[in-house]
Amino acid sequence: MNEGVIPLSVFDLALAASLVLVAGLTSLALRLGLGRRLLVASLRTIVQLVGVGYLLRWVFAIEHVFALFAVLLVMIAAASKAAVDRSSRRFEGALFGAFGTLVLVGLITTFSVTSVVIGVQPWHRAQYVIPLLGMVLGNGLTGISLALDSLLGSFDEGRERVEMELSLGASRWEAARDPLAEAVRRGMIPILNAMSVVGIVSLPGMMTGQILAGADPLDAVRYQIVVMFMLAAATSVGCVGVTLYAFRRLFDDEHRLRGERIVRTPS
Amino acid sequence: MTGLRLDEATLEIGGRRLFEGLCLRCDFGACVSPRAPSGAGKTTLLRALAGLTPLEKGTLTLDGEAPASMGMPRWRRRVVYLAQRPTFLLGSVRENLARPFGYATAEGAFPLGRAEALLERLGLHQGVLDQEARTLSVGEGQRVALVRALLLEPCALLLDEPTSALDPGAIEGLEGLLRERLEAGVALVWVTHDPDPIARLGAKVLELPS
Repeated sequence: MNEGVIPLSVFDLALAASLVLVAGLTSLALRLGLGRRLLVASLRTIVQLVGVGYLLRWVFAIEHVFALFAVLLVMIAAASKAAVDRSSRRFEGALFGAFGTLVLVGLITTFSVTSVVIGVQPWHRAQYVIPLLGMVLGNGLTGISLALDSLLGSFDEGRERVEMELSLGASRWEAARDPLAEAVRRGMIPILNAMSVVGIVSLPGMMTGQILAGADPLDAVRYQIVVMFMLAAATSVGCVGVTLYAFRRLFDDEHRLRGERIVRTPS
Repeated sequence: MTGLRLDEATLEIGGRRLFEGLCLRCDFGACVSPRAPSGAGKTTLLRALAGLTPLEKGTLTLDGEAPASMGMPRWRRRVVYLAQRPTFLLGSVRENLARPFGYATAEGAFPLGRAEALLERLGLHQGVLDQEARTLSVGEGQRVALVRALLLEPCALLLDEPTSALDPGAIEGLEGLLRERLEAGVALVWVTHDPDPIARLGAKVLELPS
């Protein structure tokens, strides 16, 4: 990768901004009324990315474990909030459950990949850890929110079905097993789809980035394979973790489904 | 002390107090029919007896034994609650009837012959066993759900309007079956708007405070 990337000047960025202008003119011509939102979205893109650029440069430069973990925790907190917000129902403690699951799954998979598979020295090099955790969280939060959505739907709309099994002598585990399995299946679908079409329909962002940066495509592919497997592991464990947590919260020790603990969120 | 007992019970639902100091006593071989206007909490009372809705206060016993001492799943297997709306899992009627015999609380294997006999008594033809359970009409579903409950040979049966979608012939079949269960010593708690069947079974009406 020593050829490096061709750096972009401010002028280049301004040139790219004219591309957004095309979108803006389209909106104007067709009276889509998207002009304002497009402007705000563009500004957010610039501000957020510049902000994160400076932050990453700072974290990379100081190479300090505490700084790294502070960034990781903020990323995980944001991901768990997003995971819970996307679900159409929630329950007390859902945010905590998503956070705990993502902390465990995110840190374990990320560090096992950076330390064991890639062999980063020292183990806490932010340049590797942060982007990999970012990918784990991006995929993990999608999986978790889908799994939660499915599970809470089965326990809320499908309450009669669960209570029918309970009233015939099923334990809470027996009554919830099918909904739990279905939730994990639902959460796994996006990553399974991504794994089946990768390279054919889509070139993953990370691989594209490495190739743009001058890496040998075969090297980039190796990284991508590692990443896909890491994401599959993280998503499956994440979905299992968060559904088991929800199961524990929504059934009491008397094997009762506490449907009143599920709140529908107006969307 | 034999039978199903609910003593000094306080029941709430969604923070609304339904009953306070409520007692329900149903001996083995006896039928009790709770009566109250709609929305007064008859279903909640049955759900509380089945341990599906928690009691704010009060005690629940079967033959002197509390749910906690036998474990709630075993309690529910002995005190079977039949919800007003029949609910089935994906699969045939046969699979649905056999399902509870796969639970850890099950005793013995699925008695197919008995299931066939019960279905016939309730006026359902044998072909119904292979029918997809979710395609049953409400009336058929109510009868299949009753068969599913009876196959567990419960000590107490909690019925929530089990005849609401049945024609007179089917009601007669159901009444006959329940009469036999009563004679066999089952405690029956039967919520219904129809005064005739419970009168014929000699049920004791329990007026609920509203």
